[in-house]
Amino acid sequence: MLRPRSPSAHNAFGGLNPAAFAPNSELSPVQTIRYLTDPDLAAFAWPGVVAAAGVAVVGSVLSIFVVLKRLAFIGQGVSHAAFGGVGVAFILGVTGVAAVGASSHEALVQDLGLLAIVTAFSLLAAMAIARMARRRQIEADTAIGVVLVATMALGSVLLDSAARAAAKAGRPPPPSIDGVLFGSLASVGWTNAIVAWAAAAGVLLTLWMLRRPMLFWAFDEPAAEAYGVPTRRMGAVLLVLLAVAIVVTMRLAGVILATAMLVLPGAAALRLSMRWRHVVVWSVGIGLLGAWGGLILSFETDLPAGPCVVGAQLMLFLAAWTVGAARGGAR
Amino acid sequence: MGASMAEPVSTARSTADQGPAIEFLQVSYRFPEARACAIEGVSLVVDPGERLGILGPNGGGKSTLLRLALGLLTPTEGRVRIFGLDPHQARERGWLGWVPQRIEAELRFPLRVREVAMMPALARLSPWVRVPDAIAANVDEALGLVGMRELAERPVGRLSGGQLQRVMIARAVAQKPRVLLLDEPTVGVDVVGQERFAEMMRGLHSALGLTIVTVSHDLRTVAASSDRVACLNRTLHAHTSPEGLTPQVLAEVFRHDVLGIFGDLHIHAHRPEDCPTPEPPRDAEGASCCGHDHPPPTTPSGV
Repeated sequence: MLRPRSPSAHNAFGGLNPAAFAPNSELSPVQTIRYLTDPDLAAFAWPGVVAAAGVAVVGSVLSIFVVLKRLAFIGQGVSHAAFGGVGVAFILGVTGVAAVGASSHEALVQDLGLLAIVTAFSLLAAMAIARMARRRQIEADTAIGVVLVATMALGSVLLDSAARAAAKAGRPPPPSIDGVLFGSLASVGWTNAIVAWAAAAGVLLTLWMLRRPMLFWAFDEPAAEAYGVPTRRMGAVLLVLLAVAIVVTMRLAGVILATAMLVLPGAAALRLSMRWRHVVVWSVGIGLLGAWGGLILSFETDLPAGPCVVGAQLMLFLAAWTVGAARGGAR
Repeated sequence: MGASMAEPVSTARSTADQGPAIEFLQVSYRFPEARACAIEGVSLVVDPGERLGILGPNGGGKSTLLRLALGLLTPTEGRVRIFGLDPHQARERGWLGWVPQRIEAELRFPLRVREVAMMPALARLSPWVRVPDAIAANVDEALGLVGMRELAERPVGRLSGGQLQRVMIARAVAQKPRVLLLDEPTVGVDVVGQERFAEMMRGLHSALGLTIVTVSHDLRTVAASSDRVACLNRTLHAHTSPEGLTPQVLAEVFRHDVLGIFGDLHIHAHRPEDCPTPEPPRDAEGASCCGHDHPPPTTPSGV
């Protein structure tokens, strides 16, 4: 039976992951089955599996826009800004995890609190990037680079300060920087899974409601403006959706790897089809397959879940690239 | 600005019951951080069903005029009306079709010709409503008019430049606009292509009876696809038939002796009324731009 090495480390990012479980001789050769069926382990594994599906679906749909609108770099800027947002949240005492023995209501408040603070911080960073780029004060990629390093530095300082303050007050230490950067499956609880699916549903509903003007805007922004589509609103909405998707993906994959889930499925799908609806279906399929495939890889190898999910999606992207090239390339 | 240009000019085809398709009344526009106006004191009336060409050099304010008609810019002075409405309202009602100078669409999108042609009509549709058959029929008709019906299922990324432009024209007319605005439609198109374009536009005009405004610095394009020509270089310099574009008018508008450049065009003898007295040179800092010495807006005589 697997047991957590340090059950007290059930915090938002740095705590448990499959590697934190000490394998013993009772382990099944197929560890995934054990993770999903053993009552003790399933409590840690299933929320991650469910949350991964939610963030994979929403990331897959958004990734098509990210790739076609060339937003991958701004996505990186937003996700790194989320690191700064986590620092701000931790300093404010919002770690995303309720104290041991707290009610589910407190857990929800903590999770939503973290989500709100990090999303708001990320959006502020995104707006700063957009404002600098729009006014031509500096080039867009320079603006992203400046905001990216500034928020990373700020997050680093704030996380360190939060750890010192906690040590001085004799409180449990806040999550580690590694956990924030690369995520952790075991940090995902049922509350987080529900919040992730609620956020995913909100993002998908918004995209569905705006699908027609959004597609027009994404395809041809000047023409969309000339035909009455509120193009600035479309851009702002997509940025908000990206920020929300990055923040809910952050627990699983961390701020560094979150954007990979917002690029790889769409990039792979666009190699496989030239039809919009087919691309959406391919992207969601690849996103889900990559997420669950990555979790299986993580369960089987005791490697961290975030890098495994991104690695699996990367493999699928390379496969799609090869298939696309063999067929003459959809792109 | 020449005194003769202060009054809105109309043509005999304007009818009182229908009203003008487009009205520019003493319109000036200055970009926010610019000292000089892009256009100044422009008064112009376009009648329903008319094909107006706007000729002028690069940087002469032609595209700005179109953006004002589309409601993408708001005049610094004066007003613009499309069939009596503010351009924003006209745009929301789908009355304006626009074909851009440069196609800035992301051609990597996995979209078919038909899907692209349908976009303006769909963008105004409620998300809860399925695509009505009427929209699909209008798109098919528009694609047929520009000769793209057989390529309706082709990905837009696999079209030639000329085919892409025809898709953009189909996209503009598929929503059944009342006015079609074309911005430099023949840039980079050879002579044969220009003639084909003019023929297609003639067919489109006779089939749909649209009001068409074509903006171009290319005299050949304007002459081949317009009933009337307005010459614009920040201010309006002349309204005339294409035959009235004398070398003197062109020289004034382009501020360059263009005699001989268009030697293969049949240009009628110079008519004094088409060639107003040249303006005195403007202050380099634009001090006179958007000044208040314009005559007050007047009701166009043809309305």
